[in-house]
Amino acid sequence: MSGKTVLLVDDSKVARMMTRKVIESHLTGWTVLEAASGEEGLERLADSTPDFVILDVNMPGMGGMEAARRMRALAPSVRITMLTANIQDPVRHQAEDLGVGFLTKPVRDAELLEFLVGEP
Amino acid sequence: MIDFIGETERDAVTELLNIAIGHAAASLSQLVEDEVHLSVPFVDFLTPAQAAARLEDETQGADSVAVRQHFHGQFDGDILLIFPEKRSLDLVRHMLGDQVPLEQLTELEQEALLEVGNIILNACLGSLANQLETPVEGSLPVYVRGHGARILDSCTANQGKGSELVMFLHVDFSLLKKDIHGYLAFVMDIVSAHHFVAAVQAYVARQMAG
Repeated sequence: MSGKTVLLVDDSKVARMMTRKVIESHLTGWTVLEAASGEEGLERLADSTPDFVILDVNMPGMGGMEAARRMRALAPSVRITMLTANIQDPVRHQAEDLGVGFLTKPVRDAELLEFLVGEP
Repeated sequence: MIDFIGETERDAVTELLNIAIGHAAASLSQLVEDEVHLSVPFVDFLTPAQAAARLEDETQGADSVAVRQHFHGQFDGDILLIFPEKRSLDLVRHMLGDQVPLEQLTELEQEALLEVGNIILNACLGSLANQLETPVEGSLPVYVRGHGARILDSCTANQGKGSELVMFLHVDFSLLKKDIHGYLAFVMDIVSAHHFVAAVQAYVARQMAG
């Protein structure tokens, strides 16, 4: 598969590092972009047109759900998943209602790869 | 304790916590690739001073680092993940792997502990919320460093009403191969503890009816 672009949106630098590590160790040639807030994520989406967006839920300022909602409107074809420590059912249902994926932290390689390339 | 919560509810609280902390332990185990050993949780009603003294005793008066998350919903309180300060860097090293240079590791320590706390505390809170079928809203985690008393002060200062007693739920955990241990604690004031017990009673009633 040719290299795709993934935008990671998480206020934790460490969380971004861990997710980036999984992508870079399995998917050669892929580009990983980062944003530290929902607002910054929206800006990066506009200027870099990623193929995938991976969003934390609980962030200062605009949360991940609101960012996902706006991203859906701005770029309907981009594939989005939440990646969150918040495992509560209502949060999962919100993601389902938005039509985005729902992955839980700590990230599991197989689950992330399934989201990105359809196979673990 | 017996006056405040019946034996059935106490048993239910312990079971709910066992499951919730089991989720948290599974997350921690995955992060550091080690088996996590858990103690049996205990639940007690203490004055803030007694709770601080107990934590102080268990941490042997040494400084600890903690990640604290305030939560609110049907019941409000704080949940804490506490590590002895001298071992926190080891935990971060196990989490990020050996390829990160020590200098960068030290720089990232606080942020890494916040992310560990975020994952573990949310796993625990989320499991509780799912079992009790009541949403629990968590604030962003906060890093606290100091003696046990200072760490708990940062919570009890948040307790507005009925802060003469706190419900102190506590479990010890340790990583079997890495000589790292820590504590997970919930602190709720008595008003919230009543709401928590009511939610537990509703849970027990659902289980019995189901």
